[in-house]
Order: sequence, then structure tokens, then C-alpha cells
Amino acid sequence: MAFEPILLRNIAKPGSETIGSYLASGGYQGLRRVLKEFAPEAFVEEVKASGLRGRGGAGFPTGAKWGFLPKATDRPRYLCVNADESEPGTFKDRLLIEKDPHLVLEGIVLSAYAIRSGTAFFYIRGEFHEGARIFSRALEEARSGGFLGKNILGSGFNLEVIIYRGAGAYICGEETALLESLEGKRGLPRLKPPFPAVVGLYGCPTIINNVETLANVTLIAERGAAWYAGIGRPPKNTGPKLFCLSGHVKRPGVYEAALGVPLMELIHEYALGMMHPDRPLKAVVPGGSSMKILPASKCDVLMDFDSLAAAGTMLGSAGGFVMDSSTCIVDALLNIARFYAHESCGQCTPCREGTGWFVKVLRRLEHGEGRPGDVDLLLDVARKVEGNTICPFGEAIAWPVQSYVEEFREEFDDHVARRACPLARMAAS
Amino acid sequence: MPEPFHPVPIPPTGPAPAPPGLRPDRAPSEPEAAPPAADLPPAGPDEVALLIDGRPAVVKKGTTVLEAAAQVGLIIPHYCYHPGLSVAGNCRMCLVEIEKMPKLQIGCATSAAQGMIVRTRTERVRATRTGIQEFLLINHPLDCPICDQAGECRLQQYEADYGKGYSRFDEEKVHFPKRYAIGRNVMFDAERCIKCTRCIRFCDEISRTGELTLLERGDHTIVGTFPGRPLDNLYSGNTVDICPVGALTWKPFRFKARVWFLRNVPSVCAGCARGCNVDLAEYRNRIHRMTPRVNMDVNRYWMCDEGRMSHAALDDRPRFEGPLLRAACATGPLQPAAWEEALDRAADLLREVADGSGRNALAGIVSARLSVEDLYMAKKVLGEAIGIPRLAVPPHESGEDDDLLIRRDRTPNARGAALIGLGAPDVRRVREILQDAASGRVRGLVVVGEDIMEAGIVAAEALDRLQALVVIDWWKSPTVDLAHVALPACGYGEFDGTLVNFEGRAQRARAAVRPRGEAEPVWRVLRDLGRRFGLGGEYATASGVFDEAAAVLPPIAGLSYRVLGSLGALVKGA
Ligand SMILES: Cc1cc2nc3c(=O)[nH]c(=O)nc-3n(C[C@H](O)[C@H](O)[C@H](O)COP(=O)(O)O)c2cc1C
Ligand code: SF4
Ligand code: SF4
Ligand code: SF4
Ligand code: FES
Repeated sequence: MAFEPILLRNIAKPGSETIGSYLASGGYQGLRRVLKEFAPEAFVEEVKASGLRGRGGAGFPTGAKWGFLPKATDRPRYLCVNADESEPGTFKDRLLIEKDPHLVLEGIVLSAYAIRSGTAFFYIRGEFHEGARIFSRALEEARSGGFLGKNILGSGFNLEVIIYRGAGAYICGEETALLESLEGKRGLPRLKPPFPAVVGLYGCPTIINNVETLANVTLIAERGAAWYAGIGRPPKNTGPKLFCLSGHVKRPGVYEAALGVPLMELIHEYALGMMHPDRPLKAVVPGGSSMKILPASKCDVLMDFDSLAAAGTMLGSAGGFVMDSSTCIVDALLNIARFYAHESCGQCTPCREGTGWFVKVLRRLEHGEGRPGDVDLLLDVARKVEGNTICPFGEAIAWPVQSYVEEFREEFDDHVARRACPLARMAAS
Repeated sequence: MPEPFHPVPIPPTGPAPAPPGLRPDRAPSEPEAAPPAADLPPAGPDEVALLIDGRPAVVKKGTTVLEAAAQVGLIIPHYCYHPGLSVAGNCRMCLVEIEKMPKLQIGCATSAAQGMIVRTRTERVRATRTGIQEFLLINHPLDCPICDQAGECRLQQYEADYGKGYSRFDEEKVHFPKRYAIGRNVMFDAERCIKCTRCIRFCDEISRTGELTLLERGDHTIVGTFPGRPLDNLYSGNTVDICPVGALTWKPFRFKARVWFLRNVPSVCAGCARGCNVDLAEYRNRIHRMTPRVNMDVNRYWMCDEGRMSHAALDDRPRFEGPLLRAACATGPLQPAAWEEALDRAADLLREVADGSGRNALAGIVSARLSVEDLYMAKKVLGEAIGIPRLAVPPHESGEDDDLLIRRDRTPNARGAALIGLGAPDVRRVREILQDAASGRVRGLVVVGEDIMEAGIVAAEALDRLQALVVIDWWKSPTVDLAHVALPACGYGEFDGTLVNFEGRAQRARAAVRPRGEAEPVWRVLRDLGRRFGLGGEYATASGVFDEAAAVLPPIAGLSYRVLGSLGALVKGA
């Protein structure tokens, strides 16, 4: 565990959220450098060269996304910061917002400059009261410091950042639902195409980026794409990454490591190993609740976009949860399914109806009322949800269902055969 | 009929695709080999050519796959898509295979592209439809035996086409309010709702009243209203029509008839000068509902609530079922009489006035609610055969034109009256006649299809001086109560005739029910009265009357019932 924190370099300092502390550790130098040395398009190229991929879940290359904006447009362009962080198991953006808001804000100013946007919206999860308070103070500080507002650092570039607090729906983290919510409507994902880069907020070209993604942009501005691209597993899995670890580990938390850190190293060295030494590892969900599960036998993987894809799952939001042998997988899946049934926006048929169905079947299984055929039914329903919905939320529940069942089929069948949970861990509901 | 299952209106002429009927293409699920690209027909500059199930289609750029398929006669099943509304893409019933795209794509939101190869009948597509049906039904109450929508319900229809026929869902269903008066005339059964949002989009985009929204999430999602603002707009009934299931029902129609007993007669609404195309649904000689019929040149898919309820007057207003005569003395009560006797009396009374006081003592008031045929005969008989010098048409106006359908002019045939030569509706001329009646200058008055007491221009006593008040109307109005002779006519829905809307479109209104009692179409009553003044000609049918009118009136020259068809035709100069 030799990774020197970059993203989290400031958070342990007292008062790390203040601009004084940020400036003292060299903050806003990257912005100064870029405003002086880079035309917006040149900085887009710089970000492309860094290999930065989005930290919000899909891992889409950030520079390439910016490149999708129409070249000629007479409409305003918007930057929307996705600070809705609601994926179960994920709590990394919150740390950045609360402990190093200026690192994020500098990235926002840089990105807005790159895409020639004069207005950025900071869409923050409704429950993050503290984060919203801290971030709005950071905005004021930055404005008085000349890092925000009109003619930033004398460059002629203007930017306003508007904080918008969500109302507590997970789906508003999906980028188009976020836009609807920002526009004051019900947070329902939009049909794509058109993509937000072309028709986004208020019908204008819009880029949506995750908080952590933008914090990485600050790093690129500070030290250059070449330096950045040397971290992790170039060329496609570069840079530092925040990993959230929760579940049966000794020290849950947010840990920074280079992309490509081995999962087992995260568990054993960063999180100090399993919570109960006598209970072996059973499974890990490496990417947040919507990603596929890895049984212990498949946990020898590197934590980066492509390695996890090769292992049949995804890095997602890097919200990893670790389960030991005391975990009932049916119960774990029921827990997740309840979340998704509650959070489905209800717009499209397969997700609206399928999520509730999963819960009902899983609840019976866990309560010893499973019937032959139930497990195959789960798989079949998941197959009919997958790929057939408006937004990726459908997969976000179909994939867990499929992978939990496929990896732990015996345990599911056992629930049916015994008409009881073998681990006698009855779900609360 | 609610909006047809066919997504685009079928043109009345030309090489139209086979009418869709109620069944979408029953898909034999044979896998289809990709036709060679050479099969693609050439496309113009604003067009794209694609293959859909091997059928070549050339469509305008921007056409969706679902619409392109319809143009070559392939109906992709759909719930949320409606040609008059924005695309929601939420039901997922229209998922189809498109070559080079790994996921199925929704036909309603995917634009047809040059060279696209679309497959709508593969096993994969079919299985997906089965899956969507299953999802829609797991929390559905299956009220079909007591549901007004049964028989014209898409959920039923597609279940018959794609359903499993049994359920794998053995859990408690989600429950919702079942008899919720979501608006003054609309009842909502939230358990039947499939959340297609058609009703919501209608209120947002068409009526622009925005009463409806989705509430809650997941499988608890429910359509609702905002506090204190029920679904109450001038067009609310359309939400019932476009609701693909029995979630929204029209209160006046609830439990009135099973829809498969209804006979839909294509007609035109007579509620205002727009002339919305409608279907009159008849069962046991009653009109049970009026629903809009698609006519892109007139009302598109919609009609207003007032028009929708207008047929009720036929049953609700007091009728008189046979001719009525006032007994010997003018103040005696009205008594039933035979047609011949009543017509003789009417003719005698009018002739007495003409003989005693001259023709200038005769006047007539005829209604722009009457058909071209009626008004043509009014001109012919009252104006020419009897020689009444003054015929006036009262206006009926209310409110303002809105920007959707409703016209301030509440008469359906003012343009028709004008082109026949009766002049535009003119309250001054009506008032003059009535004042002259009060002063005794007019002594004989024929009133056709109007209740002259309604306007409040004259008091009943003012008409006391009339020697002859002959009224032809379909209901027992206060004017009828004053008549010396009252002749019962067919009401709306009982006659065939032509109405010319404010844009000059001549359209056919049709009889859906038999006339009440001895009522006759106005034109025939006038014909028989005319016979007593030497009227020749045959005038056997409404279409015959129209043909003669078309032969003598240049604006409608060349028109006939056949030419008018079901969508009407513009008169000349329109
Ligand atoms: C159901 C759902 C929830 C999501 N929630 C979040 C979220 O809370 N935060 C986030 O940054 N991205 C979230 N995303 C991903 C966003 O849609 C989007 O891909 C991301 O914000 C793009 O930013 P990036 O390119 O910087 O990663 C979610 C996606 C889905 C489908
Ligand atoms: S997949 Fe689920 S969350 Fe996404 S639009 Fe459909 S119903 Fe809403
Ligand atoms: S909505 Fe359709 S399927 Fe449902 S109860 Fe009514 S007729 Fe039956
Ligand atoms: S009430 Fe009818 S039209 Fe409205 S969403 Fe439900 S099913 Fe669709
Ligand atoms: S008709 Fe296409 S998704 Fe509903």
C-alpha cells in the first residue's frame, strides 16, 4: 500500500475545505496555468491525452464526451456536475465535496472553460445538507478570490455555478433524469438519442460529469496529461481512483489508489482485512449495487474499467461491498432489489413492473416460501428487463439478479428445497 | 370508436394499405432472410429507403420506424405512441430488431434511416412482446367482465395476439383506487392504468391545461391530479378515447353498453361550426356515446366535451312524437293530429294570411343547425313555392374561438345557409321579423329548427297576434307550445344530411337511430308542405335533394354523397 494520495491529499488537513488551506497547498495553480497556456480546444485535447474516463459509473472517456458538443451553436452550453451520489455502497463524491470542495470547483471551472460554458449547475443529492452548505461557501470564497464569476483570473472567461439540491431520488443521478429534475420536472430519464451533448438542459448542448471526474481534471491541469497518463494501467485505465469499501471489512472507508490496484489488496491492506477472521470472504460487489457480483473465487482481479469488464462485471462507481460467509446471498439480493423497486422511476414497463416482482419472489424465497421454478423465474424476468428499458436502471437490477443467481445458484435452490433460509437470516420484511 | 389501432389515418383514396381492422398483423414467426440491399428502392432527397420485414419502404426523413412500418401495412403493436402526441417511449411494446443494433429498439422513437433493415416479426421480438404483456398484466386487475373497455382494449387485444395465456405471477398485486372521479366527467380506475402517459401528454400538449401528472414511483406509480385541480377541461373526454385500457372511462357511458354491441355510424358533430368528425355509437336505437373520428383536415383526433355530450339532448329533451294542432280556437290546447291533417292545416293557415294580408305578412325563421338539404328545401318551399319574402337565420354564438377546435359560432351549417342564399346568420333580421310579428305587420310565421323564445327577443304575448305560427322542430320547445301547427322533425342523429363547416368543408352527418315517433327529416316535412303549394320534383331521398342542390348551386357543383365520402370535401371558394 504505497500509493501517495493525490485526490485525497488535502483532506486530512484541518480546515481543508477552506480556500486558504487549498491555496496554501498550491490550489488553483492548474487553473491559472490552463487559462494562460491553453485555448479551450487545446485543453480538451489535453484531457483526451490523459486517458481520463468518467468516474460516475460508465467509464466513458471524458475528453471524447466533451468532443461530442456541436462545434457551431448559437445556444448556451451547460456543464452539469453530477453530485447526486446515491448508489448504495458509494460515498466518495461526498468526501470530496465536504473535505476538498475547491479541488472539485477548480475542475468545474477548468471543464467549463474547456467546453466554453458560462453556466455550470451543481446538482447535489438532497440529503447532502452539509455538502451543499460547504460547497456554497466554497463558491463564495472562489468568487472573492477571482476564481469564479466575471473575468476569471483576468482571462476574460466568465462562469457562474448554481447549486441545485435534489429531492432524494436515486434516479436523478442518471444524467437525463438529472436534467429533467434541474428543469424543475419529475426526474424521469429521457429517451436517447438525442444525447445531452446535443440536446441537454433546456434543450441546449450539455455535458454531465461526475464530481470525481472533475476533481481529476484539476490534477491534469496541474501536472499535465503525460504525468496523469502514467498513473494506473495506461493507456485506458489511467489516473488515481477513489474506492469505497464497505461490508465485512475491518476498516470500511474511501481509499485512494491507482486504477488497477488488486481487489484483494484493497480489502486486505487498505481496509485491513475481513471483519471476522474466522469468516472467509464469500463475494464482493466491486462497483456499486448495480454491478454484477464476484464470488470469492473470482476476486483476484485488478480494480480498473477493463479488468473488471473482463471479469464479467464493471467498475461502476467503485462502491465495493464485501461479504463474508455469514451473508445470505438471497437476503443480500433481496436487500438490493428492495432498493431498486423503491427507486425505479416507474416510467417504463419492464423496470416498473419487474423490480416489484423481483422483490416479491425474493421475499418469499428468503421467508421459506419459495417454490420450484422461482429461481428460473427470476432469471427469466431479469432477461426481459435487461436491454428493454429507457435507461440503464433496468440493467442495474437485472444484472445483480442474474449474477447473484448464476454465481450462487445452489444457495437459491437450497432456499426452495429447505423452504427456509439456510443461514436462518430472515429478512426484516 | 376510440382512436383507431392504426397509427396513421388511412387515406380515403389511393393505394391504401389493407385496413388494419382490430388485429395487428398476426405474426407467423418464420425467420426472414435479409433481403439483398439491391432490393432497396431509390429514395428522393428528403427521403430514406429501408426494408421492414423485407418490404421496401420509402419514407420522408424523420419518419419513425413505427410510422414507416404502418406505411407499408405493418402494424407494430404499441400503447404509448399516439400520432397526435409527443413520443414517450415508455410502454416498450414496439421494440423491434434493427440490423447492426445489438439491443432491440423502440419503433416509436427510432428514426428510419437509409438502408436500415428492420425486423418486426422475429421470435425475439415476439418473445419481447410476450414479456411486456406479462409485465403489464402482473399488477392488472383483469376486470374485463365489468370493464367498459373490454372489447376495444389494447391490453386484451395484444394479450390475444402475444400473451402467454396464463400467469406466472402468484403474488399479491399492487392495489390502487378503483373508482376515483378524477374529473367531472371522467372516472379513473388506477389499477387498470398501464402508465402510458397518453392522458398526461394530452393535457400538457393538446388541451394545454396540465391537470394530470405521474405520482409516486416504481410499481406504485399512479396518474394523479394536483390538489384542488381535477381533470376538468373543455376536452377532457379525449383522454378517455386515447386511454388504451379501461383506466379512464367516460362517466355518461359507464356501464351503458358492451362495446361489441355498439354500431358505430360515421357522422359529424353539430355542436359548433368546426364540424368534428365523429362516430355515433348506437345500441338498441339509442346513441350511447359520441367519439371523435380522425379527420386531419378538421379535428385531427379530438373533439370537445360539449360536442361529445350533445347527443344526450336527443334523449333528455322533451319530444313530441307526432304532429300537433291547436284546436278550433286559437287559444285551445295542442292536440295530436295525423300528418296529412296537420300539413293541410299549416298550408291553410299560411294561405289565409297571404290571401288576407298579402305575402309580406309572411316570414320565416330557419336554423343554421339544419342541413344543406333542409335549408335547400326551406328556400325552395318557403321562399319559392309559398313565396315568403323574408327568411332569417338566427346566429348562435358563445364565447370565443379557441385555438384548438371550439368555434364561437355554435351552428354547424352557417356556411351552408349562406351558400344556399339564405344569408349569413343575422340577429337584426330575426329581431325585425319578431318585432313585426308583435306589431301585427307579420301575421304568419314559419319557424324551422329554432326556439324563438330562447333568445328572449319577444315575449310570448307578442306572438299572440299571429294568425299562423307553424313550427317544425325536433323537440317540444316553448315555441312549439305557442304554435298553431307543430310538425315533428328528426333530431341530430336521426337524419342524413350535409353540414358545411366554417372552413367550407361539406361533410355528411348521418342517421344512427330511427326517428322518434312519427318524426320526419325537415326536408321531407317541407317537401310535403310544398306539395300543397304546387311543389313538383321527386325529392325522395336526402342524397337526391343534395344532388339537386349541387346541380343548381355553383359552390357545391360536382359534389355528391359519394364524393363527400367519410371525410367531406371543400366547397368552391372555401
Ligand atoms: C440509475 C443511475 C444512477 C446514476 N447515478 C449517478 C450518480 O449518483 N452520480 C453520478 O455521477 N453518476 C450517476 N450515474 C451515471 C450518470 O448517468 C452519468 O453517466 C455520469 O454522471 C457521467 O459522468 P462521468 O462521465 O463523469 O462519469 C447514474 C446512472 C444511472 C443509470
Ligand atoms: S428503466 Fe426504470 S428508472 Fe429507467 S426509465 Fe425505465 S422505469 Fe425509469
Ligand atoms: S382494461 Fe382491458 S384488460 Fe383491463 S380489465 Fe379492462 S378490458 Fe380487461
Ligand atoms: S390512465 Fe390510461 S391513458 Fe392515462 S396513463 Fe393510464 S393507461 Fe395511459
Ligand atoms: S409505443 Fe413505442 S414505447 Fe410505447
